[in-house]
Amino acid sequence: MGKNTQTNRVTMATIANSFNPREIDNTDDIPGRRAPLITGNQTYGSVTDIVCRVAEDAQPMLWWILFGFSSLTAVSFLTLIAFLIYKGVGIWGNMNPVFWAWPIVNFVFWVGIGHAGTLISAILFLFRQNWRTSINRAAEAMTIFAVICAGIYPGIHVGRAWLAFWLLPYPSLNLWMWPQFRSPLLWDVFAVGTYASVSLVFWYMGMIPDLATYRDRSKSPLRRMVYGILCLGWTGSSRHWLRYEKAYTLLAAFAAPLVLSVHTVVSFDFAVSQVAGWHTTIFPPYFVAGAIFSGFAMVVTLLVPLRAIYKLENLITLRHLDNMNKIILATGSLVGLAYATEFFMAWYSQNQYEGFTFFNRAFGPYWWAYWTMVTCNVISPQLFWFKKLRTSPFWMVVVSIFVNIGMWFERFVITVTSLSRDFLPSSWGYFKPTLFDGLMFFGSFGVFMSLFLLFCRFLPTIAMSEVKGIMSAAAHAEHAEGAHGHDH
Amino acid sequence: MSEHKPRKTTEKKVPKAFGWMAEYQDENSLLAAARKVRDSGYTKTDAFTPFPVHGIDEALGIKPTILPFIVLCAGITGLSTALLMQWWMNGVDYKYIISGKPFGITPASIPVAFELTVLFSAFTTFLGMIALNQLPKFSNPVFTNPRFDRATNDRFFLYVEAADKYYNRESVKELLGGTHPDSLDEVLEDTTPSALPRPIILGAILLVIAGLIPAMIILNIRAGYSTAPRFHVFFDMDFQPKKKAQQTTTIFADGRSMRPQVKGTVGRGQLEEQDSFYLGYDPAKLTAIDTLETGKFVSLQDSKTADGSAAKPAADGSAQTPAAPAAALNLPWIDKLPIEVSEANMALGKQKFETYCSACHGYAGFGDGLVHKRADALAQGYWLAPTSLHVDKVRTQPVGQIFHTITKGQGKMASYASSLNPKERWAIVLYVRALQKSRNADMSEVPADMVKTLDEVK
Repeated sequence: MGKNTQTNRVTMATIANSFNPREIDNTDDIPGRRAPLITGNQTYGSVTDIVCRVAEDAQPMLWWILFGFSSLTAVSFLTLIAFLIYKGVGIWGNMNPVFWAWPIVNFVFWVGIGHAGTLISAILFLFRQNWRTSINRAAEAMTIFAVICAGIYPGIHVGRAWLAFWLLPYPSLNLWMWPQFRSPLLWDVFAVGTYASVSLVFWYMGMIPDLATYRDRSKSPLRRMVYGILCLGWTGSSRHWLRYEKAYTLLAAFAAPLVLSVHTVVSFDFAVSQVAGWHTTIFPPYFVAGAIFSGFAMVVTLLVPLRAIYKLENLITLRHLDNMNKIILATGSLVGLAYATEFFMAWYSQNQYEGFTFFNRAFGPYWWAYWTMVTCNVISPQLFWFKKLRTSPFWMVVVSIFVNIGMWFERFVITVTSLSRDFLPSSWGYFKPTLFDGLMFFGSFGVFMSLFLLFCRFLPTIAMSEVKGIMSAAAHAEHAEGAHGHDH
Repeated sequence: MSEHKPRKTTEKKVPKAFGWMAEYQDENSLLAAARKVRDSGYTKTDAFTPFPVHGIDEALGIKPTILPFIVLCAGITGLSTALLMQWWMNGVDYKYIISGKPFGITPASIPVAFELTVLFSAFTTFLGMIALNQLPKFSNPVFTNPRFDRATNDRFFLYVEAADKYYNRESVKELLGGTHPDSLDEVLEDTTPSALPRPIILGAILLVIAGLIPAMIILNIRAGYSTAPRFHVFFDMDFQPKKKAQQTTTIFADGRSMRPQVKGTVGRGQLEEQDSFYLGYDPAKLTAIDTLETGKFVSLQDSKTADGSAAKPAADGSAQTPAAPAAALNLPWIDKLPIEVSEANMALGKQKFETYCSACHGYAGFGDGLVHKRADALAQGYWLAPTSLHVDKVRTQPVGQIFHTITKGQGKMASYASSLNPKERWAIVLYVRALQKSRNADMSEVPADMVKTLDEVK
């Protein structure tokens, strides 16, 4: 370690001559010095260049291949939804007693993934975690797209999808009635609806200054007009910036509890019911930890290829990924603790139904799902105790994909094992998915990836104005520190 | 044509100037210049930077924004909206009764109240920021300078507006020139045509009109009247792949979708129409009776005459109650009691007879109950006495027929099917049989050991 810190003196000054980011390890912390958040001796102009190049240059062949494949998948998904509406939800494997099967599992899976973006933008902003600036934009975009995927499933699971608007409290001329406000399912409508719209506003507001940068660099009049309209004629006026920063802080303050509330309410869908294995008070924190866990894993899965393809290694540095991996390790261990607590409570409560449910989870007909979940969610992130693995792009993608698989299985285990073995043994059953279940889960990835690829193609992937703000602050800090040293 | 020429020359005149714009390389030069301009007394100033420069509000003398107060009001509005909505919708207008839980605002109202507070606050934050900044504003004189494109990239601009009350073109130029800017330009009026090109306006109007067409069609269909069948976008449950009664089918040879009952089976819920215990006669033997008699029987049940036409109420009103000639009731009565002849059943029959029958028929069955006595006294000869159970006509009836009379009623006697269950009715039949025997037997039928007891009673 000592030798390492000797060779890599990671300050803004010493990395001036270095161009290959792979040679720079900004993950070491030198006492008394802040490690630089971005590398490669960047100026304001070079940050603009690096980020705008993503949208201005011709897209690499890989983009076209990925977009072709994922848009095809997305179109097939929409076709399958049309078929589902035509034919009915009977094409899925949902059958007595497991009526909440894959559609709900997929909903919770995607909503969970959609937690990372706003968490990074809001909570890390309030905690003044400056490293968030390089990754927040892409993470927020990912959040919006994940919430879109999540929203599809309850919408089509209601059976008569064309009447899904009945969920909203609107003055109906046909029904003469209102929704039931004591039901967690209605809270869900409000929570997910608020989260989706507030995240969208947060994301869009954050993009306005960067869209103005895109506008001002545009060569073609059409591009200039489109970005000009999107950025609402932003000039970068200091009077505007003042209100903008105040608004951003306020939005962060609202979004931070909102993030925590969404998965709490989603967990209420389960916890407020009487089913053994669902009716527990541990669910809200356990779900929120799991959501952050899966969300960060998805951000890592997307950002590692993104920074490689678009050569953003100087802005999204190993330190950013290292920090995210530490959060994955922490939340993964929290999730593991939650699993253990559930088992402890099942034994300690001496409630025979609770006891049976958890024994059945681990050793019943769905043992394979349970142990897949434990392996992926609890064991695989433990690799991140080793710095070598935590800072290796290959290993972090492997682990993050394992985490995503594990988190899907967690929702499957919670939903299906409890429903298939409820209080009445005569109504026990074994859930079998159909081909449509599988295709319609796979299809949602097509929607997600298509939207994310279009985002990279047309919108600023990194919050340039925020990165520049951090550079300015860092330069001031360095300057002040240098002056301080001279005095002595 | 000649009028156009002078106009064109007036348009070519020098564009209006809005102020001076100075450009700097970094934020420190900008801050220094901004302080200088502020200290010179100018207030209509602004800086344009690629990111929010720390300390610029102080350097330019910008006052804090009122946005947080607007947002506070919106948050309170959101909270009250959520609480009022839940209280009124679920506590007043449409009460859901669930497990005896209280109506109105309860802890269950918290999630929605929280979400709406956040929703209202967040949207007000965003829209308030946009409104206070007077955005969107697409035509702005600062954009006329091509160098200004770098204001969102890596350059810092300071702007002193001509609208300032101390503004003097030359002195401001001198002041800004003294701050060592990279460039110093006058902000000029945007002379490019501000109106949208005609094809774009035309296209937008066409698009709006085209967009309204589907809405108008739907509105017309929903609000108007039509004799054509309803157009179903979604079938919901209006059309189902099933056959209803009276419909035809190609599945069966006879073309009927309604199927006759399979022989030897009893339909669910139809036992009471199939079993002699509930009827008093054997339905299986009904077919043995000639059709005329069956027709008469049917007429008893649904007030139709034997030839099948509905009974019309006669002018004198005599057909108001179904005429039931006793002779028509020639049904395959059962003559063996379907219940056990036991002490318990006899006691049950006696109790029920005395409760329900004795009021008219009398305790001994002679048709001299209290009702009869009172009615006879009041009606003075018009009262038709209840039948005595000891006349030959009744005595010779099979048990099934007596059961049927209790079940369906007879003449003025009402049906007792709703008061007495079948077993109780059969028990009454048993008791009636005992009463009849007690009034019409000779000593040879009395068991030998009971003769002495009988003599003692006498």
